[in-house]
Amino acid sequence: MSVSVLAALRTFKKHALIVLAVIVGFTVGHLVNANFYSDDAPVQPIEFSHRIHAAENEIPCMHCHVHAATSINAGVPSVNKCMNCHRAMPGVWESPEILKVRGYWERSEPIPWVKVYDLPDFVYFPHKRHIQAEVECQSCHGDVQEMDRVEKVSPLKMQWCLDCHKTREVENGRDCWTCHK
Amino acid sequence: MAGIVEKWKKFREPGYPGKFDYHWGMVIDLDRCSGCEACVVACQAENNLPIVGEKQFALNREIKWIRIERYWQGEYPDAKVTFMPMLCQQCDQAPCEMACPVFATYHNQDGLNTQIYNRCIGTRTCAVYCPYEVRYFNWYTFKWDEPLEQQLNPDVSVREKGVMEKCTFCIQRIRQAKDHAKDRGGDQRVRDGEISPACVQACPTEAIVFGDFNDPDSAVSKAAEDKRNYRVLEKLNTTPSIVYLSKVEQHG
Ligand code: HEC
Ligand code: HEC
Ligand code: HEC
Ligand code: HEC
Ligand code: HEC
Repeated sequence: MSVSVLAALRTFKKHALIVLAVIVGFTVGHLVNANFYSDDAPVQPIEFSHRIHAAENEIPCMHCHVHAATSINAGVPSVNKCMNCHRAMPGVWESPEILKVRGYWERSEPIPWVKVYDLPDFVYFPHKRHIQAEVECQSCHGDVQEMDRVEKVSPLKMQWCLDCHKTREVENGRDCWTCHK
Repeated sequence: MAGIVEKWKKFREPGYPGKFDYHWGMVIDLDRCSGCEACVVACQAENNLPIVGEKQFALNREIKWIRIERYWQGEYPDAKVTFMPMLCQQCDQAPCEMACPVFATYHNQDGLNTQIYNRCIGTRTCAVYCPYEVRYFNWYTFKWDEPLEQQLNPDVSVREKGVMEKCTFCIQRIRQAKDHAKDRGGDQRVRDGEISPACVQACPTEAIVFGDFNDPDSAVSKAAEDKRNYRVLEKLNTTPSIVYLSKVEQHG
């Protein structure tokens, strides 16, 4: 008499189906979430690619994030800035993504970019102090120039800030009121 | 933990503020104070202080980082009144700091007695230890009715229920001035008169002077040399950073 595993399982067919459905459901759900609803790499209203702009066309970060070295906020460029270049580029003028940009321009609306890096409101984080101390953008934001969609690579936890301030021996860098407000 | 205790011990040595970069302090001239409460309003606006409402006020739960105390002498109609702005004295030997079980209140490198709202668990011990009664507790998460929430200061956290708070000497303005000093380069130091906390800015009679006590030439150091100077509850040895100049009495 041979014991067939399949035969044994057949009695649990219904359960097996449920288990399978759950596994498939979770996998699909996870993939959908990671690709479309992720907090770490949110889908942007326009498929803006840093790879195309910052790497392939070697546009410096500060050309678009103009305030990084002089202000608390790095700032995201206005639609005007996009149009300044793209008006002069007939090659992609009719591409669907640029059409969207033109739509915002014609309606005089800002593009509702989704924030990727977001600290709680009680934290004081000045970009300028870091840029002026020659901390690379990449040490906090990763290789943005390789990304087609910006992905959050740093935990933005207090420990993360403190670790760097400790190794860099930042003056008063571990005093609570340096960062808290 | 050991690190914190070490740091803390350092602050207990007498005369330690001299070791620090800045020693922020104030001189308040009671002879100039007219009790108008402009400072109270300015503070309320600058530091996102809630309006607690009539009921809570009656329960003594108002939040005012600076308040005007009134002292009466004599009987009506021959009464004299002295107004005294009372705010956190930023004591060098602060009793509240000894009390906090979680180190949510501590001394920073500028000799300021600071409060970390995130860290605070609301035991209210510090308020009990404070002889000046200038610490305030959030009994509720207060709401700002429209359109008042539009005037909240983004540089100051909005505190929640269960958190202790008090005057910070407008630390957000100090931070900004220090930031500007860094941008300016050179010695990267804040110059005298660059910082004025909201109350100082609002005072119509210029009764309050703010500045760095470590700098002997600063306006505040000079003002503190006045013969009328005293510190409140000096005998408690809290060594406050606020010097008061007593009211000039007129006789005859
Ligand atoms: C052509 C203009 C342009 C250039 C050049 C550019 N960026 Fe951006 N950047 C943007 C725009 C637009 C966004 C908002 C959309 C997004 O998040 O993809 C953005 C978003 C970001 C964000 C995420 C911000 C957030 O939290 O939402 C980071 C980080 C960033 N850029 C870093 C860089 C760095 C580093 C470089 C240089 C290697 C760079 N950028 C070059 C236009 C640019
Ligand atoms: C400094 C000039 C410059 C600026 C500013 C700029 N771009 Fe571009 N962009 C380019 C270049 C160059 C390309 C590559 C065009 C090509 O492949 O021929 C490009 C390509 C694109 C593409 C891909 C088009 C496609 O279909 O291949 C999109 C989308 C785009 N940009 C969006 C934006 C947005 C949104 C902004 C504003 C935040 C912006 N760009 C600002 C220079 C610029
Ligand atoms: C020390 C780490 C660090 C460095 C270096 C750094 N950033 Fe950021 N960046 C952050 C953090 C943290 C945030 C989130 C800020 C917030 O939410 O208040 C942020 C936010 C941003 C944003 C979102 C918009 C904004 O201003 O909040 C952009 C764009 C950005 N950074 C670009 C840059 C660029 C470009 C550089 C290099 C010139 C750079 N960053 C260097 C940590 C850093
Ligand atoms: C990759 C290293 C690095 C990381 C990560 C980093 N910092 Fe810094 N930070 C620095 C350096 C270096 C300085 C010193 C700038 C100077 O000397 O002026 C600095 C300075 C500062 C200052 C100004 C101090 C002063 O006295 O003016 C603040 C505030 C600050 N950091 C907050 C933060 C916060 C909040 C985070 C986390 C979200 C963070 N930093 C993460 C490297 C870092
Ligand atoms: C270098 C910057 C920096 C310094 C210095 C710093 N913090 Fe923080 N802290 C942060 C950041 C950023 C967050 C928010 C991210 C997180 O939740 O970890 C945070 C979060 C916190 C939280 C958690 C808040 C919550 O509700 O989740 C507490 C508590 C806290 N800090 C206490 C302190 C105390 C106490 C000190 C001084 C001993 C201190 N921090 C010094 C940057 C700093």
